[in-house]
Amino acid sequence: MNLYKNFYVMNAMSTRAERKQKIVLPSTPFFTLGIAAGIAVIPISNALKKTDATNIQVVSPNALSMLLNDLYIVLSVSLLAILLGIVCAFYLEEWLPKTNWVRRFIESHVAVLTGIPSVLYGILAISIFLSYAGTLKVINGAPAAQDTGARPFQRHTTLFLGEGLIFILMVMPVTIKTTQEALRSVATPVREAAYALGASQWQVLTRHVVPIAFTRMLAAGCRAMARAFATAALLIGTYIWHYTAETDGMSSRFLLFLGAALFLSVCSSTLVEIHASIYNSDSA
Amino acid sequence: MLSEKEQSILSIRNLNIWYGDKQILNSLSFDIQQQQVTAFIGPTNSGKSTLVRCINRLNDFVPNFKSTGEILFKGTLLGASTDTTALRKQIGMVFRKPTLFRCSIYENVAYGARISGASRSTSLDGIVEKNLRKIGLWSEVENILDETPEQLSTGQQQLLCVARALVVEPEVLIFDEPCGELDPIETVKIERLVRDLADDYTLIFATNKRRQAARVSDVAGFLYSGELVEFGATERLFTNPQDNRTEQYVTGRLG
Ligand SMILES: Nc1ncnc2c1ncn2[C@@H]1O[C@H](COP(=O)(O)OP(=O)(O)OP(=O)(O)O)[C@@H](O)[C@H]1O
Ligand SMILES: [Mg+2]
Repeated sequence: MNLYKNFYVMNAMSTRAERKQKIVLPSTPFFTLGIAAGIAVIPISNALKKTDATNIQVVSPNALSMLLNDLYIVLSVSLLAILLGIVCAFYLEEWLPKTNWVRRFIESHVAVLTGIPSVLYGILAISIFLSYAGTLKVINGAPAAQDTGARPFQRHTTLFLGEGLIFILMVMPVTIKTTQEALRSVATPVREAAYALGASQWQVLTRHVVPIAFTRMLAAGCRAMARAFATAALLIGTYIWHYTAETDGMSSRFLLFLGAALFLSVCSSTLVEIHASIYNSDSA
Repeated sequence: MLSEKEQSILSIRNLNIWYGDKQILNSLSFDIQQQQVTAFIGPTNSGKSTLVRCINRLNDFVPNFKSTGEILFKGTLLGASTDTTALRKQIGMVFRKPTLFRCSIYENVAYGARISGASRSTSLDGIVEKNLRKIGLWSEVENILDETPEQLSTGQQQLLCVARALVVEPEVLIFDEPCGELDPIETVKIERLVRDLADDYTLIFATNKRRQAARVSDVAGFLYSGELVEFGATERLFTNPQDNRTEQYVTGRLG
């Protein structure tokens, strides 16, 4: 019954332009993410090759601190990604019309990327880590010769870029989506009342939209960071469990990141609840 | 002929409006004279709100909004390059539902002055008091200026919205069914205020209550499914309608 109804609806969309609007654009993530998944196969297969027992080696404290430095940089990158995501959401929601194809393209990707469980990102991050962190390995406590050359440094950059990209992919869509929802929650009558009094778009944004949407934007940031911290914890966990020695300091970091993830998740939900209880009386 | 044209503050020529593919307004033409109350009557969904929102360009925010035709405000053709912010400062609006901001009564009224860059040095207190007195709400809110407007009745809130609009010092003030949510006593207050304001402002009043239009307006237009069936002096429109549909509407047999 419903199927037939949908069939007729599809038929009713006669023009090419309409079909493009309603079907082609929303399905682009299939292709782009398909390509991305294809690329992701490389580090995953690399990592799988490396997981035989002979490869488990001792890692120097030097490499440990490098990894941690990396993680902190990566986490700052995700903080930047949150800010960028908020700006992006403002641009999409407040400036581009709903029918704009750039907006629809980004929104369909954002929808898909937020739908991907963070565990999948975590697996990808671990794979990248395992396949490119190899040069940091030190055999029998003595640094290997290739540790100091230019080649290891390059590989280190790959590691950093890979992990950074994953954190951005994880954090930005969530931020964009939640911020957009927050912006949409600012009632049209409030905006129209302000515009009707001669307020400029900038004034409406700073005087009404941001104050009302702020709590939820903060919640969005928390949620995104929680995702990042959880994955970082996963990475450190892998590190501890994969390389059996020299784990001092790592366990506490692991717990720290895990705790941060949990704390931020709770913060996010609480903020949303607080927001709802403040503004519920308003929506009537 | 020329002098008459100079007097009309707003001229609308062949205005057509679409939301998407649906045509809402059909080739409207009329003039609005200074310091008169011009009412638009018509049943629900006849396009009254759409029409008045074109005048202060609030429809610009509606996606899929399309229009053709001309709107002249004080002789200037409004177009894509019009400074809508400046225009809306000259054409204020009061909506059906009073929408006050989440701040004190004082700040709500002072809003228009604040966004125009009024700082502490300008006497905001004076502006607020003057406009609250003008709408006759001063004595009621004098002591609760710093509290939120939520405690006020809907009618008081609507009056506050009028005061808030007056602070911007507009020349034209649009009322889109301002009494839609009010009880009869509050309605009378607003109607009286509208009559008083006509001494200083040009008023446009959309309503679906025909007798209300008869009470407050000097000129009235009857909108029926996007068509301006008749436009003329209220007195004549109600007592001697030219069009069959107008007659049916004002006598309560249509809409
Ligand atoms: N944003 C919109 N998008 C699409 N259609 C709209 C939009 N706003 C109004 N309409 C349609 O335009 C028509 C005219 O609506 P409008 O609100 O102007 O009528 P109205 O005369 O003000 O009615 P009411 O007395 O209920 O306020 C209606 O059919 C309505 O469904
Ligand atoms: Mg209306």
